[in-house]
Amino acid sequence: MKRMFLPLRICLSLILFLFIGLPFIALLISSIAAGWQWPDLFPETFSFRAWEYILVGSSGTWQSIGTSLLIALIVMIINILLAVPAANALVRFQFRGKRLAEAILFAPIIIPPFVAVMGIHLTFLRLGLTETILGVVLAHISPTLPYMVRAVMVSYSTLSTDWENQARMLGAGPIHRFYHVVLPHLLPGIAAGASLSILISLSQYLITFIIGSGQVVTLPILLFPFISGGDPAVASAYSLLFAGMAILALFSLDMALKKYYQTKNPSVLKVKGAKR
Amino acid sequence: MTGLHIEQVEKKYKTAETDLKDSFALEPIDLAIREGEFFSLLGPSGCGKTTLLKLIAGLLEGDAGKIRFGDKDLTHVPPEARRFSMVFQQSLLFPHMTIGENTAFGLKMQKVGKKERLSEAKRMLRMVGLEGYENRFPEELSGGQQQRAALARALVAKPRLLLMDEPFSALDPGLREDMRELLSGIQRELGVTVLFVTHDREEAFELSDRIGIMSDGRLLQVGTAMELYEQPASSKVASFLGLKNIISGNIRAGYFKSEDNGMEFQTIHKMADGRQFLILRPETLRPIVSNSQAPIGSVRFKGAVSKLKFKHGAYTAQIQAGNLQLECALSRDEAEKLEPAQAMELYVNQSDLQFVEH
Repeated sequence: MKRMFLPLRICLSLILFLFIGLPFIALLISSIAAGWQWPDLFPETFSFRAWEYILVGSSGTWQSIGTSLLIALIVMIINILLAVPAANALVRFQFRGKRLAEAILFAPIIIPPFVAVMGIHLTFLRLGLTETILGVVLAHISPTLPYMVRAVMVSYSTLSTDWENQARMLGAGPIHRFYHVVLPHLLPGIAAGASLSILISLSQYLITFIIGSGQVVTLPILLFPFISGGDPAVASAYSLLFAGMAILALFSLDMALKKYYQTKNPSVLKVKGAKR
Repeated sequence: MTGLHIEQVEKKYKTAETDLKDSFALEPIDLAIREGEFFSLLGPSGCGKTTLLKLIAGLLEGDAGKIRFGDKDLTHVPPEARRFSMVFQQSLLFPHMTIGENTAFGLKMQKVGKKERLSEAKRMLRMVGLEGYENRFPEELSGGQQQRAALARALVAKPRLLLMDEPFSALDPGLREDMRELLSGIQRELGVTVLFVTHDREEAFELSDRIGIMSDGRLLQVGTAMELYEQPASSKVASFLGLKNIISGNIRAGYFKSEDNGMEFQTIHKMADGRQFLILRPETLRPIVSNSQAPIGSVRFKGAVSKLKFKHGAYTAQIQAGNLQLECALSRDEAEKLEPAQAMELYVNQSDLQFVEH
C-alpha cells in the first residue's frame, strides 16, 4: 500500500483535489467577486464586501456561531449521557421488546426529520419550548442520537465482561468499574459518535427553523436565505465560515482526545500513529 | 472456624432452546478449604469446575446453598466486597494502565495512598520477577510476563482467598512449569489460601495440598494427591487420574473374574459378590525372571511384550495378557532383558490389588 504506483497516486490525488478542493476554490472566488456572470471564467472585479458584511457588519454572525456551537455541545453531552446506558442495554441484555426499542432509536435515520418535527413542534408549543435554545437542543437530539448509539454499541460489543469481572475481583464497585475499565474502552466510540453528533447538529436548518421559529439564530439560519436567491457572494462567504466552524469543532475534539491519551497512556497514541 | 466453607451449593443452567430442561447442572456440593491451603479442582472441560469457582467468587449466583469464609456468610455479598481475588486464563491487564498502576489497582480500590500503593506494587512485582517493569504497558510484555503481572495484581491487596481459573493453560509448556514453581513458592511465602482450577492433572498434583476431582457437575472425590492415586473412589476417578490397567469384572465366592474371562484368581480381600473394577498400578506389576520367584499367594499373569516405551528415564512395557492390554513400569535392567513379542510372566502382590465398585 505504501509504495503505490506513482501515476496512480497522482491520479488519485487529482481526483481528490477535483472533488474536495475545487469547490472550496470556487466558493472562495465567489465570495470575493463583485458580480460574476456567465460566460466569464473568472469575475472581472473583486471586492471584500461580503466578508465585511458577515464579519464586521451588524449581521450577528459571531453570535450565531456561538449559538450553533453551544447547541452542538449540549446536544453532544446529552447524547453521550443517553447513548452509553442505551448501548449497554442493547448489547449486553436480552429483553422483551429489544427489537422495537432498537427500531425506535434508529428510526430518525430513515424517517425524514420533517415528519417528526411537525409533531414535536405542536407539543413544544404547548410546553412553551419553542423559540428557546432548550427546545432546539431537544429537537436536535432525535437526528443525532442514533449515530451516537450506533458508535457506542460497536465499542460495547468488543468489550468482554471478563474485564469488568476482573475489576470486580480486585474490589472495584460499579462506579470504579465504569470509570477505570469501561470508559477508557468506550472512548474511541464515544469520540466517533460525538463528531457525528456535532456535525449533524451544526448543519440542522429545518428543525432549528421550525422549533426556534427564527428566534434561535444558528449559522445555517443566517446562511440559507442567501443561498436561496439572495446574495451569492454572502452565501459563499457564509459557507466557507460554516466549513471553518465545523472543522474547528472537530479539530478541538480531536485535540482533547489526544491530550487525554497523552496523559493517560502515550503508548496508545504511539500504536495509533504507527497504523496511520 | 476458619477457611472457606461451601455448603450445598448448586446451580442449574437453562439454555434458550430447551427452556424447561436443565442443560447443565452443578449438583449440590459441600467443600471445606482450610486457611493457607492450596486446593485444586481437577476435571475435564465442561465438568462445572469453572462454574463452581465463579459461584465462590460471587460472579454467579447459586440457586441454593451457602458460602462462608470463617464465620462470615458471604452468600449474598457482592464479589467486590468479598476480598477474594482472581486470576483468569487471560491476564486481563487493563491496557490503558502501566504494569505498576495495574498491580496497584486493588489497593487503589481500597483507597490506599498513591505513594504507598505504588511501592507495594513494586514489592509485589519484584516477587514475581518483574522488577523494573512498573512503567511499561501490558502490550509490551510477553504472555508469561503478563500472567506474572496478573498474579502480582491479584496478590497485592492481600486477598483472603486467591481464585485461579486455569491461569497457565494459555502458556507454552516450558513456561507453564516455571509459573508453577513461581506460584508454589509465592503461595508458601505469603501463606495465601488458593483455589486453583485446572484440567491438567500434572499441574494439580504438583501444586496442590489437596485435590477435588469433578465430573459432570459432581464432586467425585477429595483428597491429597497420594490418597487419590492409591485409593481412587471410583473407576471414573481412576481413569481421569490417568491410572492404567483398569479391569472390569465380577467377584464371585472370593474369586475375581474379568469380564472378558482373560483373568481369574482368588482374592484374599473379603468382598461381597458383584461387579468390581480391578486397578493394577503399573509399578506393582513385576516380571518374573529366571533368578527370581513370585512370592507365595501373589497373583500371576502370563503375557507377551507388545511394545516397550522409554519415557522420562523409565521404561513402560505394553503387555498383552489374553485379551487384556496391561501397562507395566520397568527399571532399565528389567527392560533391557526383554525383547518385543517375548513371552513372560508377571506377578502382583495381593496387597497391591485395588478394587473399586463403580
